[in-house]
Amino acid sequence: MSETRTIRFTLNGRSESVAIQPHWNLVELLHHFGLTGARESCGQGLCGVCTVLVDDVAVSGCLYLAVRVDGKKITTVEHLDEGGTLSPVQQAFIECGAFQCGFCTPGFVLMTHQLLARNPDPSDDEIRHYLSGNLCRCAAYPEIVEAVKLAAKLQKQAR
Amino acid sequence: MIPFDWVEPRSFAEAVASLDPEDPTVRPVAGGTALMLMMKAGVFTPTRLISLAQIEPHYSAITVEKNGALRIGAMATLSALEQSSAVAEHFPVITETLLTLSNVRVRNVACVGGALAHGDPHMDLPPLFAALGAKVLVRGPAGVREIDVDSLYAGYYETMLAKDELIAEVFVPALNGAKSAYMKCTSRSADDWPALGLAVRFEVEGHAHIRNPRLVVSAATEKVTRLTQAEDILKNAEADSVVLKRAGEAAAEEVTLLGDAHGSASYKRELLRVYLARAIRHALAGKSAQ
Repeated sequence: MSETRTIRFTLNGRSESVAIQPHWNLVELLHHFGLTGARESCGQGLCGVCTVLVDDVAVSGCLYLAVRVDGKKITTVEHLDEGGTLSPVQQAFIECGAFQCGFCTPGFVLMTHQLLARNPDPSDDEIRHYLSGNLCRCAAYPEIVEAVKLAAKLQKQAR
Repeated sequence: MIPFDWVEPRSFAEAVASLDPEDPTVRPVAGGTALMLMMKAGVFTPTRLISLAQIEPHYSAITVEKNGALRIGAMATLSALEQSSAVAEHFPVITETLLTLSNVRVRNVACVGGALAHGDPHMDLPPLFAALGAKVLVRGPAGVREIDVDSLYAGYYETMLAKDELIAEVFVPALNGAKSAYMKCTSRSADDWPALGLAVRFEVEGHAHIRNPRLVVSAATEKVTRLTQAEDILKNAEADSVVLKRAGEAAAEEVTLLGDAHGSASYKRELLRVYLARAIRHALAGKSAQ
């Protein structure tokens, strides 16, 4: 049982093909490619540290089997500064000091991208609600909310 | 996790045929968010998973019919249901419930059929759909049958589904002006699994005369459970504070409440007593459906 399967997908804009075991999760697949921005922390989909975009939809990589990304497009936090420029969200997080240890930051940054794509001008309540599935044990939440608002402003200016 | 085989049938019929009624280590998987937790905890070790991700796309459809009834394909994600403007218009209680169900990423992946078939009494959609009088359309090798969601559960993580049956669709009858609410109490953090879930649906005549109440408790009981004695008290009564108090007390007496990490049985009894009135009032004050 449990044969190796070959899956094909786009990883941060590049076509990839790899033989995997069906029980690998998406975080394990990314580590195989040397990408460590998404990490398994709580392992239960609660904390958001393993956030990955699959076909532009945010998923918890720890609860998502790698075999499911066959034929899909994966985007990780490593893709956001492709070309050497930080994204407005990344700039805003630095500007606002929206982290202390930084462990949770990749997840917050990716979720903020998702939020602003859906809602370019979110209220404090909408920000808190959307990010309620991301945990920051340093409790940088006030700065994170500020960073999301600044990112929204920066994105608007860039348009 | 322990290795297993992964099968991706291309049709619903093929998926049903891939199931094995005799082997509990062969299981269907929709979004897989709940099953992954069981697999990671080692409480479920599959030999083969039948993925439903590649079945015909119409099993993900969400349709509000002309008469206001709702049909949800089993493979519709919770996010798709949350973001449906037709659902928000006709069933605001469903949209409101989804906003506090787990988090954005889980809702993006978890599917409605899976949430109903999993049998975990802590989930939010089963009590709500039970209160709304919803049915699931189930298909197995012998054909199609319907099961009322309020009788879908046999026990803790146990459903009336055979191991070679799959939920194809959920049918929710039109609200037709009926009031409805789902309230939960989480005792540790806002996004925790609930200590108590309570769903209500009733019609109102005049100011606050209650007709045809359906009250459903979850999370505090081993399975989704109708509160029939409390329903009897509310039936044709005016929902004043005396009646609501009596109904809350009847509810707290008529079911066996289970203590767990979210609260003791006696704490949950108190919650149920209080939340019953709260849920009725919330429904009375809530947005009317179309």
